[in-house]
Amino acid sequence: MTPSEIRGWRRHAALAFIIAWVAIQIFVPFVQKFEIPSFRYRWARFGWAMYSRLVPRYEVRLFRIRPGGPPEPIPNIERYVRGYRSPEPMPMLAIYVSEDEVHDRFSRLVSYLARERHDGYTYVASIRWTSYPPAGVPDVVEFRATE
Amino acid sequence: MPRNSASWFSLVPAYRLATLRVCLAVTSLVFHVPKFNRFIDAYTSSAYHVPPPLALVPPLGQGAGAMLMMLNYGAAAGLLLGLYPRLCAWFLAAIGFYVMTLDPEYYAHNAQFHLTLLALIGCSSDRLSLWRLLNAQQHDSDETCPAWPERLIQVQLSIVFFYAALDKVFNPHWGVSGAVLATLAVRDHAPGLASLQALNQAVIRAFPGAVSALTTALEFFLAVAFFFRSLWRVSIVVALAFMIYLEFLLRPGVFAWDTVAALIVFVPSADRSWRLMDNPQPAARRWSAALLLRLDWLKRLGSVPIDAQHCVGDTTWLRLNLVSPRGREYRGLAAVRMLPIVLPGPFFVVMAMARFGGGFLGSLGYGPWYDLPFIGLAGWLLLWTPSAMRIVARLAHEVVARGVVGTGRR
Repeated sequence: MTPSEIRGWRRHAALAFIIAWVAIQIFVPFVQKFEIPSFRYRWARFGWAMYSRLVPRYEVRLFRIRPGGPPEPIPNIERYVRGYRSPEPMPMLAIYVSEDEVHDRFSRLVSYLARERHDGYTYVASIRWTSYPPAGVPDVVEFRATE
Repeated sequence: MPRNSASWFSLVPAYRLATLRVCLAVTSLVFHVPKFNRFIDAYTSSAYHVPPPLALVPPLGQGAGAMLMMLNYGAAAGLLLGLYPRLCAWFLAAIGFYVMTLDPEYYAHNAQFHLTLLALIGCSSDRLSLWRLLNAQQHDSDETCPAWPERLIQVQLSIVFFYAALDKVFNPHWGVSGAVLATLAVRDHAPGLASLQALNQAVIRAFPGAVSALTTALEFFLAVAFFFRSLWRVSIVVALAFMIYLEFLLRPGVFAWDTVAALIVFVPSADRSWRLMDNPQPAARRWSAALLLRLDWLKRLGSVPIDAQHCVGDTTWLRLNLVSPRGREYRGLAAVRMLPIVLPGPFFVVMAMARFGGGFLGSLGYGPWYDLPFIGLAGWLLLWTPSAMRIVARLAHEVVARGVVGTGRR
């Protein structure tokens, strides 16, 4: 006779998986969306918040300078980050990332470039927020690094 | 949990999950894997990386990256063919989540949804290869598997729509202002559809608050409706219409396609309740069992041989004759228009290939081929025109008849 439902350890394992899955799927987006303990709403990545915010746009210029000199292109920038250009501005969207993550990415990048190249140049990332800039952030933010 | 929680561990026909698996494999092959392989390629060929949010996440080297890219295609192909499908699905899901943790720029909601569905389809034990699905054996409709992965997919859909709606309630850019709607980067379309898009945009800009409230209400409705079997039929229609609209407006990666694929878990299967009147005369076998029964992945069609005498009435050149579960007979074009309803799996695959194949051609500069599914959809809706006109004519006739009777009384 063919059984009509699963029984035994398979059933217990499936039940444990179901409870864990549903709990995670409910709990994680909730705490991402509502800051605990204040339960204040915030936009968050893992919160199923599709098309939920005005997407900030920004331009980044990556270049290097000598003291008193003009901006120069960073040689082989493609080798450091595929798709990046220098020194012309690169239009970008901050769809799923916060302004802190954007700033962190480029401040780390110029530090890395200065450390790697170690050529006395100052490496600069100039970020200009063009549309829907995050609240409290200046329109232009610049990061510099020299080794 | 859905109302009938006792049925989570019962055995149900395996054809729904197998069909969903094939649909997800197709969207993986045409969209997800190429996109994530591009991410892997970009990551491994860059010297600089942002530190991953979790220190335990290992970085990806060039050799390992190349291997992962090949394995991704292999896993998607395995998922499609039904070769170690659970392993393939979990592999794709795990690698996808791993890539998303390498760099926040690789995250996307549509990717998260796709990976979530892959993980859930990895729980399915349907044991039905693509070959078995394509097998037209009439007796092959008794394969079963546990229901809980299906139920979990239903719950997952509910959760996604619930949180999407909840977000719109609390978000100052949605709510009653609908501010975000005016800023959406709507998609370009071919001439004709472009005019429809312009009209659509004009409506959104004129009534952003109303559109925002309607979207929120729609998402809440779907979140609730997926829990109640009595609302499944209407929720499928509403969700399908919503996803078609979303695809038309924004073309949001693979999200709309995955949602449509996931709706398969709400449809009946293995009931053989649609009857395909099979005419044994060779000239009339254009739409024979050899084709339609092979496309019947949900095993809804039962082939019924009919005698030559019965065939006399079937004069349409298509020689296609379908009888619905309620006993309504469809012939010729009327039967053709029912095929996407009876055979949703293969139609999904064709439409997804048209969309993403067309998108690929569009990206090469060959024009807006990504609109192919909308042309197919328009053609399908056109097939409903005679019926719609008949209903309108009947209603008009009834109204006129009542008017005449009313005038006569006076």
